[in-house]
Amino acid sequence: MTEPDVLLRCEQLSVRRGRREVVREVSAELRAGEIVALLGPNGAGKSTLLDALAGALPVARGRVERHGRVAVALQSPDLARRTVLANVTLALAWWGVPRAERAGRAREALRAMGAEHLAERAAGALSGGERRRVHIARAIAVRSDVLLLDEPFAGLDAEVRASLLEDAVSALRSATRATLVVVHDRAEAWALADRLLILIDGRLVASGSPRELLEQPPTVEVARFLGFDGELDDGSELLLTRPAHVVLDPSGPLEARVTRVIPVEDGARLELQLDRGRVYAVAALPSPGLGQSVPLRVEGGARFPVAEARSPVASG
Amino acid sequence: MRLIWDELRVAFPLIWHGNPYLMSIIGFTLEVAAIATAAAAVIGLPIGLALGLGRFRGRNVLRALANASLALPPVLVGAILFLLLTPQAPFGSLQLIWTRQAVIIAQTILALPFIVALSAAAIQALPPGLLSQARLLGASRWQLWRLALREARIGVIAAVIAGLGTALSEVAAVTILGGNIYGHDQTLASATFFEVDAAHYADAVAIAIVLIAMILILMCGLGVLQQQGGGIRMRFRSAT
Repeated sequence: MTEPDVLLRCEQLSVRRGRREVVREVSAELRAGEIVALLGPNGAGKSTLLDALAGALPVARGRVERHGRVAVALQSPDLARRTVLANVTLALAWWGVPRAERAGRAREALRAMGAEHLAERAAGALSGGERRRVHIARAIAVRSDVLLLDEPFAGLDAEVRASLLEDAVSALRSATRATLVVVHDRAEAWALADRLLILIDGRLVASGSPRELLEQPPTVEVARFLGFDGELDDGSELLLTRPAHVVLDPSGPLEARVTRVIPVEDGARLELQLDRGRVYAVAALPSPGLGQSVPLRVEGGARFPVAEARSPVASG
Repeated sequence: MRLIWDELRVAFPLIWHGNPYLMSIIGFTLEVAAIATAAAAVIGLPIGLALGLGRFRGRNVLRALANASLALPPVLVGAILFLLLTPQAPFGSLQLIWTRQAVIIAQTILALPFIVALSAAAIQALPPGLLSQARLLGASRWQLWRLALREARIGVIAAVIAGLGTALSEVAAVTILGGNIYGHDQTLASATFFEVDAAHYADAVAIAIVLIAMILILMCGLGVLQQQGGGIRMRFRSAT
């Protein structure tokens, strides 16, 4: 029995590309009003899963239930050789929107994406970031029940991506639409999503809110993917840390030696060697120097039994 | 060099005074080129679209065949059509041999590979994301075809230009099927061949000058249209 606000559901979904099974036994659902980020490393099967959910790829096993119309914005923001406004109205024509409504809806979507000033500009004259804005506007304009976006911020420099992300966060929010966004960058997922799906090697390995997953990653594999790059081993338990968990503190109970210093924008990223393992921290300038001993404390992190952490599956 | 100069001095007055024989050849050449190119476009563009957009089994073989047909010798096309249209042949009852219609059929068949192969290549070169995006946003087949033709218009017009060039300049098939009958079914190209063969060099030079001028004018006109993407833009405005 389908719950009323579930707009898309897949059960035990497996998808092949040629002979290779790229997506394996994935079960998930998208509900009205939520934005879900599908996150995973390169080659994890994210785009393949999105294609199968859209119906663009056949399903090898399992099933997909769609309640309402599904729109997809592909990764490549290819636009027709006409004006920006004409591109969006063209998409509305494909979608079957009556001619009289197209221009108004197109302008509204462009406004939502901060691209209304580009309406009369030729698509060929747009920058990469502007093309992405129009591409997303085109997908929003059709007002689908389910919207699937494949890496909408790919290939942009940090500044343009941040600005686009800012506009997309509000533009994608809709009480009636379910949105799934494939992202490669964790920061994009944190900014956009109510819920994360983490796909590694074709399998859905975690699902939950960004906060939940960061506080309690379900497996070592997920923790490592979410940036838990530090590791302290006390014999029975492994403590995985992110740089935010490691605090340089003169009264800290632990002592570490700085083994690497990498300058970052607002300080330095330090690699710190302890007796029980290695952790990473971000220090303000002036940062401790290479070889220097520093006291520290660890606040938070994720604990796993050593046996689980050292198993071949966990280590990937 | 002197011979060429002497023939040019005779040829220009023939053109200037509108020699009736020359005028009839110009008229028939334009008629053949227009009808053959239009017919080849009507038949060839849907085939080019199907080959360029199609995702069916065997499309690569068909694309290779379309490309190979660009090298089809006109004399071979003429010979095959002759064998099919001669009075004793399967289509002999149509009584087309040595008629103007036979010339138009031959030119259409010769222009067709250019329109099919070049338009298919132009459509294949479109950004794949655009066509996939159109499919995923619910574009009908007709909308997809209009999008592909419009986006590939520079290549599609190039295909039509190539087809028209063939229709204007072909000799062998026209001569075999039309018989190159004086004042009846001669095109500028076949008439040039006829006059050279008859040692009427001044007439040959006059016809050749007109042919070159016609090719230049038509090709330049289409070239301008190609660069502007005009005409087609008007036709496809309704897509939005």
